[in-house]
Amino acid sequence: MREMEADVIIVGGGASGLAAAISAAEQGAEVIVFEKANTTGGCANMAMGLLGVETKLQKERLIDCTREAAFQKFMDYTHWRSDARLVKTYIDQSASTIEWLEDMGVKFALPSKYFLGSEATWHIVQPKTGAPGLRAAATMIKTMTDRAEELGVKICLESPIQRLIKDEGEVIGVVAKDKDGDIEAYGSAVIIATGGFGDSPEFIKKYTEYEWGKDLFSYRIPGLTGDGISMAWEAGAARDRMDMELVFFAPNTGGYAPIELPFRQPNLFVNLDGERFFDEAVVENPVFSVNSITRQKNRTVFSILDESIMKEYEKNGLDLVNVVTSNISMDDFKQEMNDMIKNGNDVLFIADSIEELAEQTGIDKEGLIKTFNQYNESCKSTDKLFNKNPKYLKPLVGPKYYALKFAPSAYGSLGGIKINYNTEVVDNDDKVIPGLFAAGTDANSICNPDYVFVLPGNTLGFAVNSGRMAGTNAVQYIKENFSEE
Amino acid sequence: MSNIKITIDGMELCADETKTVMQVAEEADIYIPHLCHHKDLHDVGGCRLCVVDIQGKEEAQTACTTKVQPGMIVKTKSEKLDEMRRLSMELMLANHVDDCTTCPKYLKCELQSLIQYLGVSTSRLRRTLNAVTVDTGNPLIVRDLNRCVACGRCVRACRDIRGVGILEFAKNEEERTYVGVKDNLTLENANCRFCGACVEVCPTGALQDKAGVFKEGNRNDVLVPCKNECPAGINVPKYVRFIKEGNYDEAAAVIREKAPFPKSLGLVCMRFCESACKRSGLNGAVSIRDLKRFASEVDSYKWKERAFKKESTNKKVAVIGSGPAGLTAAYYLAKLGHAVDVYEKLPVAGGMLSAGIPDYRLPREIVESEIDLIREVGVNILTNHKVDSIAKLKDQGYDAVLVAVGTDKGVRIPIPGANLKDVHVNIDFLRKDVTHLDIEMKKTVAVLGGGNVAFDCARTAKRLGSEVIVVCLEGEGKMTASPEEIEEAREEGIQIYNNRTFVKVDENDGKVTGIVCREVEDFHFDENKKLVLNIKEDSEHTIPAEMIIFATGQKADLDSFGELELSQRGLVSINDSYHTNIEGVFAVGDAVTGTASVIQGIAGARKAASNIDIYLGGDGAIEEELSVEQPLDPNIGLEEGFSHKECSHYSCVPVEERIHNFDLMTVGLDQESAKCEASRCLQCDLRPKLTKMKFWTEYKVK
Repeated sequence: MREMEADVIIVGGGASGLAAAISAAEQGAEVIVFEKANTTGGCANMAMGLLGVETKLQKERLIDCTREAAFQKFMDYTHWRSDARLVKTYIDQSASTIEWLEDMGVKFALPSKYFLGSEATWHIVQPKTGAPGLRAAATMIKTMTDRAEELGVKICLESPIQRLIKDEGEVIGVVAKDKDGDIEAYGSAVIIATGGFGDSPEFIKKYTEYEWGKDLFSYRIPGLTGDGISMAWEAGAARDRMDMELVFFAPNTGGYAPIELPFRQPNLFVNLDGERFFDEAVVENPVFSVNSITRQKNRTVFSILDESIMKEYEKNGLDLVNVVTSNISMDDFKQEMNDMIKNGNDVLFIADSIEELAEQTGIDKEGLIKTFNQYNESCKSTDKLFNKNPKYLKPLVGPKYYALKFAPSAYGSLGGIKINYNTEVVDNDDKVIPGLFAAGTDANSICNPDYVFVLPGNTLGFAVNSGRMAGTNAVQYIKENFSEE
Repeated sequence: MSNIKITIDGMELCADETKTVMQVAEEADIYIPHLCHHKDLHDVGGCRLCVVDIQGKEEAQTACTTKVQPGMIVKTKSEKLDEMRRLSMELMLANHVDDCTTCPKYLKCELQSLIQYLGVSTSRLRRTLNAVTVDTGNPLIVRDLNRCVACGRCVRACRDIRGVGILEFAKNEEERTYVGVKDNLTLENANCRFCGACVEVCPTGALQDKAGVFKEGNRNDVLVPCKNECPAGINVPKYVRFIKEGNYDEAAAVIREKAPFPKSLGLVCMRFCESACKRSGLNGAVSIRDLKRFASEVDSYKWKERAFKKESTNKKVAVIGSGPAGLTAAYYLAKLGHAVDVYEKLPVAGGMLSAGIPDYRLPREIVESEIDLIREVGVNILTNHKVDSIAKLKDQGYDAVLVAVGTDKGVRIPIPGANLKDVHVNIDFLRKDVTHLDIEMKKTVAVLGGGNVAFDCARTAKRLGSEVIVVCLEGEGKMTASPEEIEEAREEGIQIYNNRTFVKVDENDGKVTGIVCREVEDFHFDENKKLVLNIKEDSEHTIPAEMIIFATGQKADLDSFGELELSQRGLVSINDSYHTNIEGVFAVGDAVTGTASVIQGIAGARKAASNIDIYLGGDGAIEEELSVEQPLDPNIGLEEGFSHKECSHYSCVPVEERIHNFDLMTVGLDQESAKCEASRCLQCDLRPKLTKMKFWTEYKVK
């Protein structure tokens, strides 16, 4: 068996692992990163940007979300379930992380909100060309990879980790495998950052209340099979709360597909009984929406509109805009709708009457007719059921009716490895496992119970910031414990 | 050919004049972005990502199509070049779906890595959505044209490397260029050779292997599933190709490189290779076992000239048990120069091969002829020698002992009547002639169990004149016996009762009258591997029979070896080096793994022999090249009707001719059918020969 040695060994070369590698190397540590894919960046290649609070970019644009306010908002939103010291460190460090990335050469577009009412904390990466949208953060990965290598970090691609090596309770290395066989890599500290279990239906079924393909249609970024979580548990790590980073999609359409565009608007949403179940204005907050969808029968709901609303959207634009879909147009929607009609599908329904719509969708017919009548009545006065903002009360009059099926989905997973606020992994007695750190989605317990959509940029934000912390903490640990030289 | 000097990015390089700028840069590990360029394909300069500045030329040139010239000064990196490249990327991305998250190629995609490298996100041009249905109709290759960027690598690979040429550029009704199959045929009907070259060279997720065709793992291994799945790692494509070429001696030599007993394997191997064969999804696996049988039957032992035999080491090894595992280890240990004595308690050597598997499947003479070759290298086999104590054996001066006793103790399920006179266990029954066990046959026999051994018992009883039924717990289609065994047994008139659990053996005055069963709805094993049955109510019934044979598993007979540490399953515990808890005592085979296949026994024994040799001071090297090198021709060409090609496999002699005797009941392939069957091979071993393209992350200068 071949052997390697370094100060810090990092499992996973995604955003979190790279951040950890760079911060450790900047402090003089020798670092090896093991990545199982052919290139670096993991899910960050599909990401857009990360959270920053009190950054120069925000100040220049008079965005006045302060650290204190952001912390308060975060803790209010999570009801103090999250580790407050970890959240505080994360938020306080976030601005310097943005500048740290800018110093490497990463450029950011305007700090952005996710939807109206959220804070403009989302620092979306500015790609070299194209809109700062989906995949924009791939550009940042190139910069981070270059920076890591410039600092002497060794990145071993296509080299998955098999397990951790422990000696007398301390983690002292990993066993990796590449095309030539097994490698034992020894280090004074190991940082796990493998990105969670979004691609493991087994994990999802076992550790969350969902079943992939049945009531969950989440992104499954290949390779996110919970590797780091499993090996940490094997080494004695405690299990922290595990959940999905929930949003909602029309099943099997890819997520934020153009077909969803007019349906992700505050019109009529019903469950299979044909009843409304939330104030549709909430639709702009994906996590609030999915929480209410999860409570409905079969975890299935429908967004319904008619030709008059469709025409109005084509002419005047949508009611609600969110950043992710802001560069999709109604033309894209129409093109995809035509393709879906041509190729067949089981989520989009078009009918000439309410009754026909009920038959096609399987919604209870009487319930749906009753709701239609009540809803159209409300549009003339007020929404007595949920008190929806009157400007979103548009009657459904036909002649064509459209419905799109929505169900719970997710960007990926959240949590698994229990860490303390120093990113050290702890066991079931909350004792630190010496030499073992975790960062990013594997250890993201701060979005508890829900992703904090009011402060957007938390997945990548926590990944990069906790990675950076773990890198620093690992070097500190080495200095304190292995400083005979 | 002459060497000239050129400069790339300030680096002075020596280059061969026939090469392109791209080739010279690649050799120097300098990254120039590229997508349509592939090392094994001729270059077309289509994607225009590899544009470089050449001093003296006004316009940027594509590095992949520009030949180097003396004194050429090339610049590969500049903002201007990157801008041109980004524009080309955007043109490609406009024809590619935005969503990478659902793509199996995620993070293994060259296009995605170029998005990183060049910093392009979405295209500013018209966006292409999932407009075309993904073609999943083919059992081996998935085509997702929404992800095709028309780089043409697959077209060139299919045409130029393979000489098949069934892929070509076409235009759809929206004038979008895409890669189609000739005349819009299915891959099968277009005579695709399913070599996988197109999938291998595809830089995006447009062409993918269907999930499950290959396992995860080292590319060079998993891409050749037959070889990868063979426990002994026999180079299947190599010997299959030799057979196709009519070079039978070399084919036999290839098999011999990894396994003694090729003839026995040709008749009874569990053939993990065929289960994994890529062709099984298409129109049935290649009949690899039959090809092995053919090669071993015509073998003239030319390989013996190339086999190694080391000088005597003056070390002595005792092997306990002469089954396939024991004898394989003995064979290699003797070749390594050690003096080997094999102790066999039965009067015949060969273990289950000679005293277990019935002669109609594997004639004893064939096993004997294979054992002769093992004796030939100096192995001394002592039959009728039961070892009672390892300690005593070690006192006789052996430097190492290998326990390879197998699992030859049949298991009697503890139900009332299990110990009656006419109730027997599988192994005792099957080797009654060898051990001279007097078993009086009865008119009706019930065999309990659904594995291959159960069927061996049933078909043996049938040949001895009884009416036979098989009763087992497993449902139809869930029995562990091979499908042919079950089918052939049925042809022989053996009835099978599935989904039964056994309550007791019915008797009348000590005489067996039947087996009392209950019907089972389903069953599973709980966390402690304990069987949990779901029994149908009021389903108790008796199946009449005068003789019962338990064929419900075997265990190792280790009564004489009390000092060996055992696992929870009652098997011998060993470490990674096949060493038991006792110094100098090793173990291998079924006694370690539980009842497994011949090939698994052989594979384990090779490793054990190697470890024992190391223990005795040797280098443990047992690999040998018995066959000649085989040049691989990547140009496989077109063959009419290839996807549908069928040849014959072994045939069974008619029922009437086989159920009254123990003669070998199968007829192998003749030369012509062997060659034909060998030509069905998809030659999976060609694919790993294609160069694996590097991503920008892997270059020194990027």
